[in-house]
Amino acid sequence: MITYIATDSNKSMFGNLIPFLIGFALLAAGGLSFALHAMYVGHHYTFGTTREVPWGLLVTPYFFFACMATGLCIISSLGQVFQIEAFKSLVPRTVFLAVVTMATGLMCIMLELENPWRVGLYSMLSPAPSSNIWWKTTIYSFFLMFMVFNFLSLVLHKEKQARIFATIALVMVLMGILNMNSDMSLLGTRGFWSENYMPIYFVTVSTLTGCATLLFFGWLSKINGGQQESEERRVTNKAVSRLFMILLFGLLYFSGVKVLGGFFPQATQNPEAMFLLVKGNLSLNFWVAEVGLAVLFPLVIILGMKGKNEVWQAIAGLSCLVGCFVLYYHLVIAGQLIPHYYQYHVVGLPEYYPYSPSLHEIMVSVGSVFFFLAAFVAGEMIFKKISFK
Amino acid sequence: MKKNTINVKELEEKASEDTEGISSMERRKFLGFGLTITGLFLGGSVLSLTSSNPSFAGIRGGKALVADYPYSPHYTMVIVQNHCIGCERCLDACRTTNHVPDGGYRTDILERSVPVSPDENERVFMPILCNHCNEAACVRVCPTKATYKDKKTGIVRMSIERCIGCKTCMTACPYNARYFDEAKRAIDKCNFCVDTKLKESGGKITACAAACPANVRMFGDLTDPETEAYKLIHAPGKALWVLRPEKNTMPNVFYTNASLSSAH
Repeated sequence: MITYIATDSNKSMFGNLIPFLIGFALLAAGGLSFALHAMYVGHHYTFGTTREVPWGLLVTPYFFFACMATGLCIISSLGQVFQIEAFKSLVPRTVFLAVVTMATGLMCIMLELENPWRVGLYSMLSPAPSSNIWWKTTIYSFFLMFMVFNFLSLVLHKEKQARIFATIALVMVLMGILNMNSDMSLLGTRGFWSENYMPIYFVTVSTLTGCATLLFFGWLSKINGGQQESEERRVTNKAVSRLFMILLFGLLYFSGVKVLGGFFPQATQNPEAMFLLVKGNLSLNFWVAEVGLAVLFPLVIILGMKGKNEVWQAIAGLSCLVGCFVLYYHLVIAGQLIPHYYQYHVVGLPEYYPYSPSLHEIMVSVGSVFFFLAAFVAGEMIFKKISFK
Repeated sequence: MKKNTINVKELEEKASEDTEGISSMERRKFLGFGLTITGLFLGGSVLSLTSSNPSFAGIRGGKALVADYPYSPHYTMVIVQNHCIGCERCLDACRTTNHVPDGGYRTDILERSVPVSPDENERVFMPILCNHCNEAACVRVCPTKATYKDKKTGIVRMSIERCIGCKTCMTACPYNARYFDEAKRAIDKCNFCVDTKLKESGGKITACAAACPANVRMFGDLTDPETEAYKLIHAPGKALWVLRPEKNTMPNVFYTNASLSSAH
């Protein structure tokens, strides 16, 4: 039987959550209004994207939140589908966060499109089974639906039904994440990350961001009084912390592979992009964010604290999330910066295509983060009202 | 008696056979083979719904395509590169004929500085346009079939009302042949003037080819032996190449150089 996380009316460090909810919602609306403006006047006039670099910053929060939802689903399935005791108490909050993050991700990608109103119509009237994008969007939409059903079943205490939905959602999200690789590798025509290890890489990073989310937002939830201190919570926290540590070692390995590719072109399928990342213009971002913030800093904290200090664990989680956001940004951008005809000695061709995010792109991305935060706060309020077992 | 001398012009036309000519795709395939043997291969093609590899059929441009043309007429263009003087009349004709907006272009001319010796570079003009690939990455990635291969002619076309503006096709195209037309709210690209000049000429010529004063752009049908493009592609001993062959897109735009005698 699934035992749900206990909630109580402990004193919240933040007091009344409604001002936070309204504040975050307003900030989200402010950020997202930039998207509506961009849609109205055209991305050409408002985004930093170009003919040469058509995908910009806005694709990053999509990947980030979609992968985070994947990771959260995988972690929730450990308790819900695979019945691992230590993860059972996490299930309701993790399922809720997975719903919220996937909704945020899908919202981001819709706002990145020039004609989002055509998506629903033509993805059904004119489906393209050869397109990984079509598969992924469809899969993620169904995933979101099944996770909503899953959460509602949990609220209604229909555990068996919830478990069925969770299993379907897990299968779907794994298919989605494996297609994420193909999305990018198909774009290998442009020197993206068509590395052979990418499916495992995506699953690793997704689950890692899921763990980091639970460590950081679990702590926020705790100081908000949403989660009671208990032995069960300590066991769960320790389990998540351990999983986080293992996955950090995994990402450390993959970072090492990238570094290897940057220094030894024969070790990678994307030598130009790897060089740009490890030794070129993106190297500061890579070493500080991808290696430092995403892997080394959290690893040092986790190894040093041995899962005993939740505040430091939360800091490690936040650091990892920031680093992983930059990691996804690189994943989107680096390959596109390599000029199409770089090997043809073209006169006047830049060494790398320029790209920097515009104000609109930054504001929409920030708006999507606040959308997620508003939904998280709303979730905290829901969890205080609804009594789980 | 015939002298046993080296014909430099002929040698210039031949493709290089040194190790630098080995494409990165060939190197990757070799590495992938090694990984497969050692049991480490975990490619997207194994785990994904659709393969991560657009095609490993190899480069089948030029001669290898003879008698294997899937379209009729199978439109093609042969660029006689060393005829191009960079006058840009083709670009103007394309803009005018197809109402290409400012800031966008369907075709362009790149200027190359090709090293011919340690101290010497040769300036070469290289016209580029959509390659109307047989294995078009843009067609495959489009989630709504807004971009598609015309079943009759093989031309890569746009159905603008279906375009959601995700720009995945722009990201996937290895030839920088697409742009987003804000006025149409859809991707625009070369379509061999299928709805303009080609239609007016009864399927004979495109606007850029018609405007070229130096016969650089030879438009034709790969299934029609009477067209100049067919003759160039099937001429014995003629060196032809495609752009970025390592991408395995099987382009229908070919490049060649005319020998200096025929250029005169």
